[in-house]
Amino acid sequence: MDRRKVKETLLGGLIKNNPTFVLVLGTCPTIAMTTSLSQAFAMGLATTFVLIFSNLFVSLLRNVIPDKVRIPCYIVIISTFVIIVQMVMRRYLPDLYAAMQAFIALIVVNCIILARAESYASCNKPLYSVLDGVSMGLGFTAALCLIGIVREFIAGGSFAGIKIPNFPAMEGVGASAFGFITFGCLMALFNFVIQKVNEARERQKRAVLPLSEGKVERMEVEAK
Amino acid sequence: MDKAKFRSMLKCVLVLAVIALCSGLLLGAFNRLTYVDPLQSAYDRFAADTGATFNSMRDADGKVYGQGSVVYYAVSNDEVYHAFLAEGKEGFGGTVQVYVYIKDDKIDKIVIGENSDNYLFKLEEAEFYDNFIGKDVFSLDVLGTDAVAGATKSSTAVKNAVNAAVRYYVDGNGQPVQTALREIASGGKENG
Repeated sequence: MDRRKVKETLLGGLIKNNPTFVLVLGTCPTIAMTTSLSQAFAMGLATTFVLIFSNLFVSLLRNVIPDKVRIPCYIVIISTFVIIVQMVMRRYLPDLYAAMQAFIALIVVNCIILARAESYASCNKPLYSVLDGVSMGLGFTAALCLIGIVREFIAGGSFAGIKIPNFPAMEGVGASAFGFITFGCLMALFNFVIQKVNEARERQKRAVLPLSEGKVERMEVEAK
Repeated sequence: MDKAKFRSMLKCVLVLAVIALCSGLLLGAFNRLTYVDPLQSAYDRFAADTGATFNSMRDADGKVYGQGSVVYYAVSNDEVYHAFLAEGKEGFGGTVQVYVYIKDDKIDKIVIGENSDNYLFKLEEAEFYDNFIGKDVFSLDVLGTDAVAGATKSSTAVKNAVNAAVRYYVDGNGQPVQTALREIASGGKENG
């Protein structure tokens, strides 16, 4: 097992290729399910479960599934796990299921899952595919939770269902339009921070190198 | 037909069929593990929504009223609540299940059950249910209520479900205690 690849796969979905903030996939559930933290978290976990298992099975069957029918096969695999999630939620979390059942069913057509099945799991080994599912799922969950926290706090004046006393809740802010604005602002912030971190790393790397680009340029100027 | 092409087609069909079969078997196994008895589920919901206890269904076969239908009907042990699990067709995402509770001939509570409708939240925002809650079922025109703009189909599905419950109650299928008392008091049926 290639340690570097494992690390890259695990961190890829969380930061570098975050499905929500970087790849901008799964926008529909992102807007619809982030009115509260609990819904965002449940949606994230449900998607993570489906991602892990669909990636695993698509990877296991990658040499068996003919190219012509790969999409129907992926859809059958993905929808199986979505229905399992529905059954489990209906049995053990009926209230949460009642609130989000319309969107749980829509996980079948979530582009993150189909994209990972098509672009990663179908050409990688099962272990890496599972890691990719974990990473992408956690990245999606984290992004959803972040948006959920902000929206719930501003629109409802609460955190994870706990009301903050004397906080002026802004009515109407819970609407989808504000969801898009929050999503956009957080996406910009996320990418700004990642960019700054990458620049700082690059600077550190150059400083450690025996001959940094700056020094080379200076030497060239002096030589002239 | 070309032999190679036929083989390739057969392989596609077989692979897809085997995957679908395995998927079906897996779902069957999970269904056994997570099966929820619909009657028990309805009892639990009735009890949770009203705080009363329900021991038996008065009607577990249901009745159809146009685009709406009553699935289950029960009366609480203290005869105060008449609980209905009704369904309304023509919703945005298909059928919408609605729990309707009638107390003293008035709609006491409406709770949305299982559905695949993405626009029901608009009904809550528009206070659509206030058109029915607290209203006397004998003078209520459910289907004549205005739909919520932007959620017309969802409103229609809910109206169909509530209308089914109200008509069931008014028609005396549930033999409501209050209606019987009214009839005795007035010497005849008051309405419908």
